[in-house]
Amino acid sequence: MFRFPSRLVLHVFLATCVLADIALSQSSPQHAHVELIARQNSIVPGSSIALGVHFMLEPGWHIYWINSGDSGQPPSLKWQLPPGFTTGEIQWPRPERMQSNALLADYGYHDDVLLIVPVSAPQSIASNAGPSTVRFIVEAKWLICREVCLPDHAQLQMALPVASKAPGENPLAAKLFARTEALLPKPMPRSWKVSVRSRKDDFALTIAAGKRIAQAQFFPLDPEQIDNPAPQKLQTSPTGMTLVLKKSDLLVKPIAVLRGVLVLTDGEAYRIEAPVRQSLQ
Amino acid sequence: MKKARHLVLLCALLVLVWLAPAFAARVGEPAPGFSAVDSNGKTQRLSDYKGKFVVLEWHNQGCPYTKKHYASGNMQRLQKEWTAKGVVWLSVISSAPGTQGFVTPTQENEYIKMMNAAPTAVILDPGGTLGHLYAAKTTPHMFIIDPSGTLIYNGAIDDHATSDQGDIASSRNYVSTALQEATSGKPVTEPATRPYGCSVKYKD
Repeated sequence: MFRFPSRLVLHVFLATCVLADIALSQSSPQHAHVELIARQNSIVPGSSIALGVHFMLEPGWHIYWINSGDSGQPPSLKWQLPPGFTTGEIQWPRPERMQSNALLADYGYHDDVLLIVPVSAPQSIASNAGPSTVRFIVEAKWLICREVCLPDHAQLQMALPVASKAPGENPLAAKLFARTEALLPKPMPRSWKVSVRSRKDDFALTIAAGKRIAQAQFFPLDPEQIDNPAPQKLQTSPTGMTLVLKKSDLLVKPIAVLRGVLVLTDGEAYRIEAPVRQSLQ
Repeated sequence: MKKARHLVLLCALLVLVWLAPAFAARVGEPAPGFSAVDSNGKTQRLSDYKGKFVVLEWHNQGCPYTKKHYASGNMQRLQKEWTAKGVVWLSVISSAPGTQGFVTPTQENEYIKMMNAAPTAVILDPGGTLGHLYAAKTTPHMFIIDPSGTLIYNGAIDDHATSDQGDIASSRNYVSTALQEATSGKPVTEPATRPYGCSVKYKD
């Protein structure tokens, strides 16, 4: 008879703990669902894995690329890693151009985007979440916009078991990682030659690719160089193309290097980094 | 006769439209002149302020980046400091009706009182004319015009492109620095920076 109330108290206490834990590990961002996922289903000491922050956005809402363009702000990730682990940089998929009017163009993502971050494990892994398990925590901050913008953040976490041999893949996650990898800008083919001439009001980006390039869009990595909303005029040629990029009003000093991502019609994206020659033209 | 006059008017209009994109605000060049109505119904002309430094601050009270600088009192502090030194401070609202930040004159005057803001005047630009003239992109987006009418600063308010109030203390305020340099006769070391914030809510 006496044990019943104490057991009830224990149950209530345990239920509260469980609920509190759920509240801590789940976030309820506005107009998006955000999760931390891993490509692999375990981690081997001394190896690398891929983690990703997965944004699933409500229709019409968007977040931003590393260069957000004229407005907005790119997401930021702050990691709390198990001892000895290190992360690489965010691998930004090629963005889309979002132009709301003649004055403003932003670069970012709609619908669904995965920000992949490579993670390296130390030679000897100290478990931080139960036996042979490591927990990764990331504090993500982002700006989500439609007509209006909302800054938001979430603490996301996930745990992976430590394994001794090569880890398998989580099939569902692997599919998403593979799809995202296809959207990552690649290094420019070695056979290509790229040059940039700085003229009075624009840059002429010329690519000799040994084949005709009929359509291309340039996304600048550095702000303040290109006028984002200005149409990019493409002159195609049998060996490549020249893309004319209007200079930004904020560009007051000559630049030495033009860096960005070039996206071709077939969706292929290449990293461009070209020294800028001053032209008298 | 009447037809000819219409044609002339149409041509003038077309030329204006055609010229419009050329009026971008470039540092070192004359700032585009304007005449616009403020929240008290008074006409504000740039030419009226010849001989004075003029700050233009693009504003949207609903934007988290504008809120950062108003809820913290940072913007009001700047407005008070520099208007006390004779600088003219014009906030500009280019939000179109029905978009975030659009206000009636009465609403704006109530906001100014509530926030203890201290601009010289707030220009209401719901048609976006002034915004397009300066190619204002974000809220906030800051411009400084010197006493000769030359644009000497175009860009962000500071060097922390976030909406966190906590970042203000460790930020370098570009507007303050530019005004300090310019009012003491020095060239502005950083005359153009990337403005950050919400997009200006133009009608198109």
